[in-house]
Amino acid sequence: MTVTDAARESVASALEADQVVSHLNPPASYDLADHPVPTGREEIWRFTPLKRLRGVLEGTPSDDRLTWDTTLPDGVTVSTISTAEARALGELAPNDRPSALAVELAGGATLVDVPAELETDGPVLIDLHGESADQLVWGHLVIRVGAYAKATVVLTHTGSARYSATTSVLVGEGAQVNVLTLQDWDDDAVHLGRDAIRVGRDATVRHTAVSFGGDLVRLHANVEYDGPGGDAELLGLYFADAGQHLEHRLFADHNAPKTKSNVVYKGALQGEGAHAVWIGNVLIRKVAEGIETYEENRNLVLTDGCQADSVPNLEIETGEIEGAGHASAVGRFDDEQLFYLRSRGVSEPEARRLVVHGFFNDLVRKVGVPSVEEKLLATVEEELSKNVLQELS
Amino acid sequence: MTTIDERNPELEGIGRYDFGWADSDVAGATAKRGLSEEVVRDISSKKSEPQWMLDLRLKGLKLFGRKPMPSWGSDLSGIDFDNIKYFVRSSEKQAATWDDLPEDIKNTYDKLGIPEAEKQRLVSGVAAQYESEVVYHSIREDLEEQGVLFLDTDTALKEHPELFQEYFGTVIPVGDNKFAALNTSVWSGGSFIYVPKGVHVDIPLQAYFRINTENMGQFERTLIIVDEDAYVHYVEGCTAPIYSSDSLHSAVVEIIVKKGGRCRYTTIQNWSNNVYNLVTKRATCEAGATMEWVDGNIGSKVTMKYPAIYLMGEHAKGETLSIAFAGEGQHQDAGAKMVHAAPHTSSSILSKSVARGGGRTSYRGLIQVNEGAHGSKSNVLCDALLVDQVSRSDTYPYVDIREDDVSMGHEASVSKVSDDQLFYLMSRGMEQDEAMAMIVRGFVEPIAKELPMEYALELNRLIELQMEGAVG
Repeated sequence: MTVTDAARESVASALEADQVVSHLNPPASYDLADHPVPTGREEIWRFTPLKRLRGVLEGTPSDDRLTWDTTLPDGVTVSTISTAEARALGELAPNDRPSALAVELAGGATLVDVPAELETDGPVLIDLHGESADQLVWGHLVIRVGAYAKATVVLTHTGSARYSATTSVLVGEGAQVNVLTLQDWDDDAVHLGRDAIRVGRDATVRHTAVSFGGDLVRLHANVEYDGPGGDAELLGLYFADAGQHLEHRLFADHNAPKTKSNVVYKGALQGEGAHAVWIGNVLIRKVAEGIETYEENRNLVLTDGCQADSVPNLEIETGEIEGAGHASAVGRFDDEQLFYLRSRGVSEPEARRLVVHGFFNDLVRKVGVPSVEEKLLATVEEELSKNVLQELS
Repeated sequence: MTTIDERNPELEGIGRYDFGWADSDVAGATAKRGLSEEVVRDISSKKSEPQWMLDLRLKGLKLFGRKPMPSWGSDLSGIDFDNIKYFVRSSEKQAATWDDLPEDIKNTYDKLGIPEAEKQRLVSGVAAQYESEVVYHSIREDLEEQGVLFLDTDTALKEHPELFQEYFGTVIPVGDNKFAALNTSVWSGGSFIYVPKGVHVDIPLQAYFRINTENMGQFERTLIIVDEDAYVHYVEGCTAPIYSSDSLHSAVVEIIVKKGGRCRYTTIQNWSNNVYNLVTKRATCEAGATMEWVDGNIGSKVTMKYPAIYLMGEHAKGETLSIAFAGEGQHQDAGAKMVHAAPHTSSSILSKSVARGGGRTSYRGLIQVNEGAHGSKSNVLCDALLVDQVSRSDTYPYVDIREDDVSMGHEASVSKVSDDQLFYLMSRGMEQDEAMAMIVRGFVEPIAKELPMEYALELNRLIELQMEGAVG
């Protein structure tokens, strides 16, 4: 039996295989004209203080680069490719102005290549360092993990810069990938990032975003699927201090049946003007029957003067799903937990420390890279000692 | 297989939109289309309004032109503002008794069952709005003696100008949004309620809104003031005939609940499927006051409605119960908005929606806890039920917290009718569509039980009707 093009088209349109129009997710496009300079009224920009981006959105060309320091396990290669080559690899097209600018102005991409069926003997460590916030840096990255490979990639950002980057993570069939991006910037850094992940058939991906430093950090993590059976876990952990704006936007696009996504983001806020924004979008297309999704965001507000915005959106176009849910909560210390600990003779500052510790701990344990786990717990301690514990002692 | 109707003769006649007939349309046929300063001045002068109201209307018109159409939510491109009739005066003056109403209008409301409700004393007051103005009004004498005012908004402006000017537009300013501005410029009719201190109105006040003319815009304006420690329950219902082209309903409802007062506002909108229903509803609550919205969205082509409660005083409480059904070609974009502006305030939102036959339901909500509103609590629960594979359900729950000592929870789930439940009921001898209807009824039960009896019955029947033929 031959399938005519017309039939194919009508099936595709019935299943809405193309972009579903939603105000939450502007269509992806390389054309800068499709991504006008935001005014702040747009749905995707309305939580971001545009002034503090300090001109990143104007799109001034710049030759500044972050310094790269990489540790590569055997078999993994890092190379520079042209913008056209990155496109030919099938990277995900930019979906907002900063990511479109990054592609346009970075003058080529860096390709981290994990060949098919390679099981790496250790994590791929990429340390990115910026010299000062006067630097304007455009970044363009492609991480390709071949079919049935198994790899962990850790991106660490330190120092300071005004940095806008787009990263595509292309995961082959049956691969298992763990990507971690750590934002440990100095206090004056601006970081706009987009991590777009395409999950291959039956592949498993875990993406973890950890944001501690920076004046303004705004990260997108997008997931789409290349076939049934893909499983994506998006984890996040953030600690917003006085004056910091940390924004995390997630988009799980269930464009294939029997796929899974699980989003868990936890954050703590302390100090005047600390602002955390978390937007989780899940789109379940008509074609995506039998999928499972859950998104969750928990915020722990430690002091007055903080602001936490939390929006777990769901858009569902088929009733044939295994389950879809979301939850978000904002609260402060649980008095009962504190009371319990104190009744057992733990001092109040110590009890508070333990509660915050416990809040983050289960998430930290999921990271799966021991050296990073330790570092995260240490950073949480450090953050706590800055404010909460000082206040009390 | 027998149909639901055959097994349940009492449901006879439920399988259609019963309110889809239209009366002969004398007034509407000659009414002017389109919006201009002239139209606004004309409305104002026909009502012989004071200058301040005309000025406000003109300001509304100006802001309407300037405000952008919302870029989110439903597709509103089908609204042609130039083709709408902004003011249609029903041919007769307001009647004092039911029998004085002109025959055709009386017939309309007879079919809707209003005189019945009044006769049986199910309500303590009735208002009926036909096209742009209220045609019939009554309130129980004992309530009148206690100083309860229940009038149509136009009469209230004439008879109680000071009270009116003090509160009008204070909860929803002229330029709040495009449709509030439009309403301010061309508003007509609606209910005005004032409940004096300590007065408890124990059976509901009721209003019915009916659009008869094609391409008609109904812009009623409701203002409810519940004074200290008073209580009122206000119920409204809406219907319209089925025309081939669209009508617009854009109401503004402002409610002020003073210290310790309590107000419950119940709407069941069952507009026909060619009405754009774009409504702004907002209430303010002073210390210790309670506001409850019970919001049922069954009809209309597109509904965008987010009843809001501003909790301005300590220990104020807000509650929204919302239920939405979307069938073929319908988009119910409904939700709730709670703004905590004082300490120890609490709010809860319970939203249930059912989408079937390609319909789309959206929950869109905002919980905002402002600085200083410590000890506030908020809980949001939204459940959506998808009956088939072609329908759509969205959840857009915005949360904005600016205070540390609060507890806020949001939970949502979307599910399909489970095969286990269906199998269980069918193994006990139920037909599939009957079982389906029972599951849906169980799903909406927590809200249905909060409705006045006759509306709960109506809702159950509508579910029955909506669900028929939903399976296979």
